Amino acid sequence: MLIWLIIVPVIAAALIGLLKAPGRATALVSATFTLIMGVWAFISATYGGEDAINCWSTLGERELWFSLEGPLSPIMLLLSVIVTFAAILGLKAPDKDAERSWSIAALLLSTGAIGAFVSDNIISFYAFHELALIPTFVMIGFYGRGNRHTVAWTATVYLGLASMVLLAGLLMLCSEMRTYTFSGIRMAVQYGMVPSSCLIPGLLLVGFGTLVSLFPFHAWAAPAYASAPTPIAMLHAGVLKKFGLYGLFMLAYCMGPVCKEFFGCWNNLLLLLLLGNVLWVGYVTVAQTRLDDMLGNSSVMHMGYIFLAFAAYIASAGNNELAIRGAALLMLAHGLTIALLFLLTGQIESQTRTLELDSMGGLGRKLPCLGFLFGLAGLASIGLPLLANFAGEFTVFVSCFNGWQPGAAAATTGCDVLSNIYHSLGSWLSDIWLIGSVFGWIFNAITCTLNTISGWFGGLGPVQLATLFALWGLVISAIYMLRAFRRVFEGNVGLASERATALSCSDKLSAAFLAFFIVLFGVAPFLIFIY
Amino acid sequence: MNNEYVSAVYTWGQFAPEFALVALATLILMADCFAPRIPKRVYPIVGAVGAFIAAFFMIRPEFGYSSPFGMIACVTTALVLLLAYDYRKVTCASVGGAGVEEGTTELCSLLLIACAGVCALAEAHDIIMLFVSLEVVTLASYVMAGYFRRNQGSVEAGVKYLVLGALSTGLMVFGAAWYYGTTGSFMLSAELVHSLLTCPMTELQTGFYLAVGLLLLGAFFKAGAAPMQIWIPDVYQGSPTPVSAFLAVASKAAGFAVLVAILLPFSRLYAVHPGKVGAIVTAISVVAAATLLVGNLGAICQNNAKRLLGYSSIGQAGFILVFFTNIGATCLTDYVVNYLVAYMLATVAAFYAIAMVRTQRGSEEIAAFRGLGKTNPRTAFLITVSFASLAGVPLTYGFLAKYNSFAMFIEATHCQSGLIWLLPFMIVGAAAGFYYYFKVLREMYWEKPQEGDKPLQVPVITAAVLTGCALVLIWLGTEPLMFIPY
Repeated sequence: MLIWLIIVPVIAAALIGLLKAPGRATALVSATFTLIMGVWAFISATYGGEDAINCWSTLGERELWFSLEGPLSPIMLLLSVIVTFAAILGLKAPDKDAERSWSIAALLLSTGAIGAFVSDNIISFYAFHELALIPTFVMIGFYGRGNRHTVAWTATVYLGLASMVLLAGLLMLCSEMRTYTFSGIRMAVQYGMVPSSCLIPGLLLVGFGTLVSLFPFHAWAAPAYASAPTPIAMLHAGVLKKFGLYGLFMLAYCMGPVCKEFFGCWNNLLLLLLLGNVLWVGYVTVAQTRLDDMLGNSSVMHMGYIFLAFAAYIASAGNNELAIRGAALLMLAHGLTIALLFLLTGQIESQTRTLELDSMGGLGRKLPCLGFLFGLAGLASIGLPLLANFAGEFTVFVSCFNGWQPGAAAATTGCDVLSNIYHSLGSWLSDIWLIGSVFGWIFNAITCTLNTISGWFGGLGPVQLATLFALWGLVISAIYMLRAFRRVFEGNVGLASERATALSCSDKLSAAFLAFFIVLFGVAPFLIFIY
Repeated sequence: MNNEYVSAVYTWGQFAPEFALVALATLILMADCFAPRIPKRVYPIVGAVGAFIAAFFMIRPEFGYSSPFGMIACVTTALVLLLAYDYRKVTCASVGGAGVEEGTTELCSLLLIACAGVCALAEAHDIIMLFVSLEVVTLASYVMAGYFRRNQGSVEAGVKYLVLGALSTGLMVFGAAWYYGTTGSFMLSAELVHSLLTCPMTELQTGFYLAVGLLLLGAFFKAGAAPMQIWIPDVYQGSPTPVSAFLAVASKAAGFAVLVAILLPFSRLYAVHPGKVGAIVTAISVVAAATLLVGNLGAICQNNAKRLLGYSSIGQAGFILVFFTNIGATCLTDYVVNYLVAYMLATVAAFYAIAMVRTQRGSEEIAAFRGLGKTNPRTAFLITVSFASLAGVPLTYGFLAKYNSFAMFIEATHCQSGLIWLLPFMIVGAAAGFYYYFKVLREMYWEKPQEGDKPLQVPVITAAVLTGCALVLIWLGTEPLMFIPY
């Protein structure tokens, strides 16, 4: 039955595009349908038994490649349908034509996301995600803000190249394991068919990493989100981007204990890169002067925490239920929060016709409701307790210390692995040029520093060390989020804020809809898991 | 050498569709001459119906064989003839002057004759048959490329094609001579190749490799693979658009039919002589890498839509060549044919779009597609599907074709891990595809229509073909990703 979640939005998009059906109304009908069906699927998969799950993956007599097995699929499905509904409910386009194209793009994006998250077949999983490439390209290029053509090309080339790298990695993995499904991987692991080369996980990390905007492959993301029309930004940043993390987690989860063997050789490098996400991009976010740029960068930054959960999961060889749950919760929470923030940003822009932080101010007095919702979303994004992000981040941080004992000398082995990689990389490069020795030197320096630092902290492992550094990210996000809130909503009523009139009912409803779920999963995060 | 290898056995009945096609071509010529009252625009339709019927007879399991390459050629020819019908305004203007239909019928006959050539080629299993039928295709194509005698570009295309084609023919004849000289036979059979590869005389083997190499160069010329791809962009750009479509699909199918015919004996011997066949695989993979690079990187900076499709056809040929690196695979031909079908559907649709834009806006530049997303949203969507399929965007058949290319290659690296160097070339080629095919989408959706741009009038045949191609591309691309096969 899952197929209806994919077919109905496509039919709605076709009706709008080819038969000139009214844009938002048709899309809203389809989004309502997927919302109801998606929530039903989520509930039956989470609280029903195996039979309930099985009945979702057939259509009449024929079996589908879709399934809700595993800990992540139902949650990601829930996220997709909620954000799709909110994005279409809050859709506000400049004219009729734009409304039609935005609705089509939003529907196709949500189809791509839902299809990817419920696919058991790895090739359909990949294919559905790629479907979103064309609507994103067209929408940013035509309706985007600012330097839209360059941004659209950059994003397309980045995503196109990354998806080809990813395809190569996935195919190599599938061909080594002689299966093309996630459930098949779980079987293949039992027969010991796990590829030992470091190339495949490397390709997967680069491919998935670029799609999730892992540092240093993140350059496309922030400008694209800042430039994209509101529903596209909501769906892409909130839902579709989680595809890469979902893929990594699914592979690791299906591999079980051997995931450490498989991804392990890159884990320490991954820790460094995710700190780049949290700290480097964090400081870049602080320096932004436009609200949309700031949100784009902040969404890149927060990906670092989810990667942290992934690294913790790998480091503990799959024996870390908490990490995968924390990641699921954080992906859900971040998706809802960033979608709400982009939605509100769109509303702010339509009220004030600017997003320059300097020219705004005092909007909270004119539109207290908008101020309240933005404040809620901002606080959620910082990680205030009782809001969903806190539950996610807290679980992730705790999971990083899961199974760690004070005084255990995990750090030295970790650093050895690191130095090995760097040495091999260095010797390989030294054949080419002097870079090799420079690389080797840098790697030695990093290894020694890590060893020293871990000595100070009584033998913390690399994951734990990275967690300590990543905690600083909470402070950074508090700085930029609160500062932005102050500059937009507090203080004297700025020139731009004078223009503000009032929010429409659908504006408030769509934002409140998302805010409701942020609070719901903040107060009762256990709802999404069976305990 | 043994006499039984000297000539292949063919039956007359086997070539019935080819004879029928040639008869139809002759009939059309005669009717054109002796029945001047019949309007000339009828002939493309008649030819198309004939080619469709021939396509139906190309898959004949009741005779114990089938010829998928021939079927691709027949369907393409039929679609191209229908395109020639929609394109007749430009054809008339470029041949006899605006509105004069005199002298436009030969194009139909030539297309049918060339199609018969490809069909015969697909059934050839000796070099004489291969060469003769290839020349039928090639000679007809020379005339067709230069058919617009009032158009300088077309005449230039005809001459260039003739000169470079003659070179490739010469190489092929030379290769055939070496083949006969070393094996004493014209047959392309696994037994023959096997006896030669196990033969103790190494000089003979060297001569044999030379022969195979020269024959392959001839096949590369038709298929559009490096280093024999030089003619493609100029000829595609200059030729009449229906002829470009024919060259891009049917003629390329002919090239791959030759390639399959030459390499199939080696494919059967892969398990016996992995080392000796491996040399050929290495050569093919070098050619594939060069082709991928030249085609895909060359396409990036193109502004003319037909020239873009010319480079694209080189790039796609690179992906098809990659299949041959997995030479031991049993279903090699099926994969090549699947790829060609995906390529055919998308490319023919793209040429229909170009022809429509050329007829009504007078230009073949990509810029002439401007604003179609606004003025003709449905047509723009159909064009989007065909270009997305060429780029390999998932949920179109083009994605599955490219996916097969990657998957077969990775399968091949299990046996020959040294091949892995080709992978970056494939990744770069596929990623570049996203850039240059999306240039058309950019013009359609990003650019606003200019002052005075009227919505395009979509002719019935064009609308039907675009819709049909898009539906088939989407259905074939989607179904396997949703349902588990029985």
